[in-house]
Formats: sequence, C-alpha cells, structure tokens
Amino acid sequence: MLEAIVFWSLAGLVLLSALAVVTLRNTVHSSLFLGLSLAGVAGLFASLGADFLFAAQIMVYVSGIAVLILFAVMLLGRASDLHLRQVNDLWPTALLVCVVAGAGLFKVAAFFEGIVALEPPAPGTRAIGRLMLGDCLLPFELVSLALLAALIGAVFFCRSGGEENP
Amino acid sequence: MTLAHYLAVAALLFLVGLFGALTRRNIIGILMSIELMFNAANLNLAAFDRFLHPGGVAGQTLALFTITVAAAEVVVGLALLLAIYRGAGTVYVEDYNLLKG
Repeated sequence: MLEAIVFWSLAGLVLLSALAVVTLRNTVHSSLFLGLSLAGVAGLFASLGADFLFAAQIMVYVSGIAVLILFAVMLLGRASDLHLRQVNDLWPTALLVCVVAGAGLFKVAAFFEGIVALEPPAPGTRAIGRLMLGDCLLPFELVSLALLAALIGAVFFCRSGGEENP
Repeated sequence: MTLAHYLAVAALLFLVGLFGALTRRNIIGILMSIELMFNAANLNLAAFDRFLHPGGVAGQTLALFTITVAAAEVVVGLALLLAIYRGAGTVYVEDYNLLKG
C-alpha cells in the first residue's frame, strides 16, 4: 500500500513536471521544473532500491546539470523571449511520431505485465564498487577519459569564441 | 508495483522528452528534453535490475555510466551553445543556418 502511494505520487510528479518542461513558455520556469522532474526520478530510484544511483542522481543531475542549465538560461535569455512562441509549426507531426513510438513502447511494457519483485531491496553500493573495479574496469577508465575530454572541450569552445570575436 | 508500471512511467517520460526535442524552438529547451530522455533510459535500467535480476547491480552500473556521459554531453553542449550564441545572437534553432550553402 505504502509502495503504491509512493510510486503513484512520484510518477505523477515526474510526468507533470516533465510536461511543464516541454510546454512552458518561460525557459527559466522550464529549467526549474527540470530540476523537480529529475528529483522525482531520483525518488523512483530510491523506491527501486537503487541507493547509490539515487545519491548519484541527486549529486549529478539535480545539483549539477539542472543548475548548469539554469545558469545557461540566465546567460542566454532575453526579455522579449517571453512573448514569442516556443513551439515550432510541426508539433502535430511530432505528436503523431510520439503516439506511434508510444504504441510500440507500451506493447513492450505490456510484455512484462505481472512481474513483481520477490525479495526486499538490498544495498548495492559495495557490489557496484566491486563491479566497477573488476569486470567494468576498462569502461570505468574510458569514462574518466571522456570526462577529461569534456572538460578540455568546454574550456576550448568558450575561450576561442571569446578571443576571435572583437 | 510490477515491472510494467515502471516501464510505462519511463516510456511516458521518454515520449514527453521526445516531443519536447522535436517541437521546442529554444535550443536550451531541446537540451532539457534530451536530459529527460536520458532519465527515462536510466529508470528502465534500474527497474530491470530490480525485477529481473534481484541482487545484481549490472544495470545500475550501466546507468551510472549513462549519467556520466550525460554530464559530459551537457557540459560540452552548453559550451558550444554559448559559442554559437556569441556568433549568431539567437537561441532559436531555425536561425542557425551557418552551414547553408
């Protein structure tokens, strides 16, 4: 019973704030709702028993990416954007694409109907650490290389643009 | 709660993100919609881990790698976006026609 209440309230929070992200006209409001939606996904991770993923979601998404996007919105926006339409002309076609894709996705989801978890969730942080430094050692090192490349790329793009333009 | 419930929520979140990525005019809105789609994929990975492979953490580890790659993507994306905005002076994607012959 408690699990159902938690699940439905978190699912409603995630989906409604995601809808607000894609439909609101003010981009600042959109980015704030993005933080709310990501926090709701973190709550769903917690209800799935993925404790380390919950913490990582809060640290990386809610307090990292959402704040970064909010900064970018405040740097790039103009006051006149509030009066402009934020949705392009092809939205009925996009809706059609989403309906077709959704039919396929729900067909797949219906295939897994009735599967319940048999055991209570157990903490998985220790097992994740062992897996990352065991079988997944090569992807673990590669992803650190990707983070270094992202860092250098971000610095490079911001710097060279600033010097070339007078 | 069954696995299908979590898959349905993840599918709806993915569709909302897809709709946003296809229809937003603002490029930051498109980036935000892409983040929503990443989160739907992560939710699927964690749900499969919990229901089909109890006690296993392979899906959660893959979701952690996805989170890392998404963070790198958004950092580079926002840096590129600031550089483009300096040149083009707009955030609307239909005005980005630098490559047009």
